[in-house]
Amino acid sequence: MTGLLQDLRYALRQLRKSPGFTAVAVITLALGIGATTAVFSVVDQVLLHPLPYPDSDRIVKVSQTFEGISTGDASPANYLDWVAQNQVFAQMAASRGWQGSLSAGDRPERIRGTMTTPNFFPLFGVNPMLGRGLQAGDAQAGNDHVVVLGYGLWQRYFAADHSIVGRDIRLNGEQYTVVGVMPPNFSPDEYGELWLPSPWGVPTHPLAPDKDPRQFRDRNYLDVWARLKPGVMPQQARAELDTIGRRLETQYPDSNDKTGVSFLPLHEYVVGDIRPVLLVLLAAVAVVLLIGCANVANLLLARATARAKEISIRTTLGASRRRLLRQLLTESVLLALVGGVLGLLLAVVAVPSLLALSPPDIRQFKQIGINREVLAFSFLASIVCGIVFGLMPALQSSRSSPSEFLKEGERGSTANRGRTRSALVIAEVGLSLVLLVGAGLLVKSFMRLMDVNPGFDPDHLLTFNLGLPSSTDAVRQLAFYQEVVQRLQALPGVQAVGAVSRLPLAGGNSSRSFSLPGIDKGYSADIRVSTPDYFRAMGIPLLKGRSFSESDLGSSLNVAIVNEALARTVFPGQDPIGKQLTKFGPDNLTLQIIGVVGNVRHVGLDTAPHSEIYQLLGQAPWPSMFVAIRSATSDPTSVTSAAQNVVWRVNKDIPLANVRTMQEVIANSVQRRRFSMLLFTIFAVVAMLLAAVGLYGVMSYSVAQRTKEIGIRMALGARRPDVVALVVKQGMALVLMGIAAGTTLALGMTRLISGMLFGITATDPLTFAAVVALLGAVAFLANYLPARRAASVDPMVALRYE
Amino acid sequence: MTEAEQPLIQIQELTKVFYTDEIETHALSGVHLSINKGEYVAMSGPSGCGKSTLLSIIGLLDTPTAGRYFLNGKTVENLDFAERSRIRNQEIGFIFQSFNLIGDLTVYENVELPLTYRQKMPAANRKARVMEALERVGMAHRVRHYPSQLSGGQQQRVAVARALGGKPSILLADEPTGNLDSRNGEAVMEFLQNLHREGATICMVTHDPRFAKHAQREVHLFDGKVVAEEELKKLLQETSA
Ligand SMILES: Nc1ncnc2c1ncn2[C@@H]1O[C@H](COP(=O)(O)OP(=O)(O)O)[C@@H](O)[C@H]1O
Ligand SMILES: [Mg+2]
Repeated sequence: MTGLLQDLRYALRQLRKSPGFTAVAVITLALGIGATTAVFSVVDQVLLHPLPYPDSDRIVKVSQTFEGISTGDASPANYLDWVAQNQVFAQMAASRGWQGSLSAGDRPERIRGTMTTPNFFPLFGVNPMLGRGLQAGDAQAGNDHVVVLGYGLWQRYFAADHSIVGRDIRLNGEQYTVVGVMPPNFSPDEYGELWLPSPWGVPTHPLAPDKDPRQFRDRNYLDVWARLKPGVMPQQARAELDTIGRRLETQYPDSNDKTGVSFLPLHEYVVGDIRPVLLVLLAAVAVVLLIGCANVANLLLARATARAKEISIRTTLGASRRRLLRQLLTESVLLALVGGVLGLLLAVVAVPSLLALSPPDIRQFKQIGINREVLAFSFLASIVCGIVFGLMPALQSSRSSPSEFLKEGERGSTANRGRTRSALVIAEVGLSLVLLVGAGLLVKSFMRLMDVNPGFDPDHLLTFNLGLPSSTDAVRQLAFYQEVVQRLQALPGVQAVGAVSRLPLAGGNSSRSFSLPGIDKGYSADIRVSTPDYFRAMGIPLLKGRSFSESDLGSSLNVAIVNEALARTVFPGQDPIGKQLTKFGPDNLTLQIIGVVGNVRHVGLDTAPHSEIYQLLGQAPWPSMFVAIRSATSDPTSVTSAAQNVVWRVNKDIPLANVRTMQEVIANSVQRRRFSMLLFTIFAVVAMLLAAVGLYGVMSYSVAQRTKEIGIRMALGARRPDVVALVVKQGMALVLMGIAAGTTLALGMTRLISGMLFGITATDPLTFAAVVALLGAVAFLANYLPARRAASVDPMVALRYE
Repeated sequence: MTEAEQPLIQIQELTKVFYTDEIETHALSGVHLSINKGEYVAMSGPSGCGKSTLLSIIGLLDTPTAGRYFLNGKTVENLDFAERSRIRNQEIGFIFQSFNLIGDLTVYENVELPLTYRQKMPAANRKARVMEALERVGMAHRVRHYPSQLSGGQQQRVAVARALGGKPSILLADEPTGNLDSRNGEAVMEFLQNLHREGATICMVTHDPRFAKHAQREVHLFDGKVVAEEELKKLLQETSA
């Protein structure tokens, strides 16, 4: 123990003695450990932590399947049959997103909430912080005007008022009694500002809020949650749900054809998509750390040469090899720990910015930060680093025998060290190439994605969402939106205004099934409900036929406009204008096609357009619409407050929600890609810089070692360019080996990110070539500086040492 | 003046001052020296009197602080780095006390090295020159060896071969036998002797009177100045007294 203390004291003195070396090593390590810790803190919460519910691994998300593929949702009648027939779940609950306006003063606020069956909270095992949750008695007509508030809403809107329970608030103009407040961080679904019951137990359909939903078997809008009974294995539950699904399929062939049931563990449901992204980022940042370690190992190797004399004296005085190793490792681990502490501070600063950049599926994990696990991780990472970069130099130092040093001074073991240092640099160059290729592929994918034509003109467009209470009848809906659109249209600087049920790239979608007259084949298409001027406002081209007109509203003919994709798949080689679509939707409507418009990328820029059918608002109801305003000015937000006033003049209870330019909507839709691209690029550039620093260090050291040789060469007539070429060639040989190794590795590794690419292959030759050129240029610079120094060697001084 | 009468090396009032840590060292203070083409000159004097400094200025490795130096009748002050490199490479051969072979290169590569700095020398030509030089010093059987695998005498013979390979008109040797035993020293002296006979101009620094005899002329340096032999003896007696 005293030995260790001695080692520590001596190690500290050593670090203090060479502040330059210590600073460079500590900064390198702090960068590496800091970045790794920051990414790990995200991975830790998102992937490694169970969700914040008791026995959360027993909670599952249940959904219908169509042709074996999960649809993500379920119909009320099917849900009720699952509840009645299963033996494997202790609880099952159903919910749906709810939107409405909350008013307490004169400013209404648009709120997103959840309508749910009363057992929602017990299923997740979370009790309200104040008051009570929902009870079976709440889910009955007459008693259903109760609401449980989310923590965030309670804080924000009600100033954390503890006497809120029992008070009345107004939702969509109706009176509701607050019965409870949930604790912070309870948001199993993406809504979660408040929860309310349905008068029929099962949540109502958003477009038919007054109808008893329990008989609906072909309207799929429910999120279904379940908790496995203790002792029930997932396979067992799966088998039973299969049986139930098949039984319902035969029992209800009209609605349940090819329909089954399946479930996903809740954790998988929440983090499924983001997991590969996070793992790739963690791997990337670990490589950065590894390169940092290689750099510090290189510094230590250089210092080991300088310390050879000290080591040999220690050996002469009888220090055992083990004792020496311990001494040297104490130094490197101490170095790593200092770097680790700094890195941790760096991570504390970096995590909030990391979260600010991150997409919502990461940001929803509010507990991300430096916790005990993260602390332990960075401590461990530091120790491991210290050993990784310290071991090789220490082994080499402790191996050299004193006689060797006394005899030859610099030959023998130096050459050996030179080789190790070169190998480290080759590895650094290779690894940074792998990261650069990855970053290059992601950047290029992103650029490709941004080049994709979304099918509309996103410039000069302001969008927002308006939500009428879902109980508003179709006539009043139409009147409201007609008036809003008309008044907005009259604003100065506004070119065109349209409203639509689902805005492209804003999330959310709905689809309907339909047939063709006399053909016994089912089709499905995404459905939009819009006002007549929507296409003009969005810049969606009308390819054939005509657009909607106000006169269609008076007609008994249900008109439809379809997109090119539908025209091509359903009416190949035919003119779709005038064709009829039958058995449309649950009401079995017949629609007549009057026009064809261009395809729009609705789900994502990276997703091929689906078949789409547009209906005219007024012929189809839709309470909550997006409004798109095309303005003449370059800044579309300039009409925001005027638009707000217009809406309030029409109905003072309706707030503008989600006010964004269309460009912002697009930026939002690619946020996850931007996040991974940005982070990966940062890591790759840091890796490249570290590798360049490593190369520079090795070459500078080598030049210093070769001063005498360079002097001799100059005496023999070498000109300055000859000397520069000599050094650059030596360095670039290492670089080329690194590039060769890195390219081979990258060809194997980039397949891991092929799922994150768009429009290019993981072996895109142009990206590889560009990265090799960039890395080569940076490496050349890292070589050129020491080479120039070598060329300025004074041959006299070099030869003088005798 | 015809070329035969013109001295190959002509040095006038040459001084060299080193400034280190605000201490001035006057290594050379007013040296006059001329060496004719084909002459064999030995340079001697006590340690630190400026012999090596003078030799490196002659070899264009260093520049004087003041004074004039004509090489082949042309002043060297205005030559740029590349021009000096070229002259070192083509006109001058160096032999050092500590051999100064490059450890990472083989015997063959060491001898070839100066030739690689010449533009437009065909590889076959180069190879012939290297082998010829190595044969002259009796080291042709060791082409693949590295310097560390050779004895001191063998290393110096390789160094001589390296100086010969370029067929220089001037050979500068700074205590070439200083690190050798007498037998190896004699052998090196013999090479120089032969080269001189073939017409080379040689300037050799040595303390050893036995080796100095080989030269046609002896130049004595004392405290940065060229002195006559009798004067040197007197000065030496004064300092020892
Ligand atoms: N680069 C230098 N910097 C400072 N002093 C030097 C340098 N080179 C030589 N000297 C000094 O110049 C003097 C002459 O040195 P040198 O020519 O090597 O002597 P010699 O070869 O005759 O022994 C010595 O006093 C030496 O210390
Ligand atoms: Mg000397």
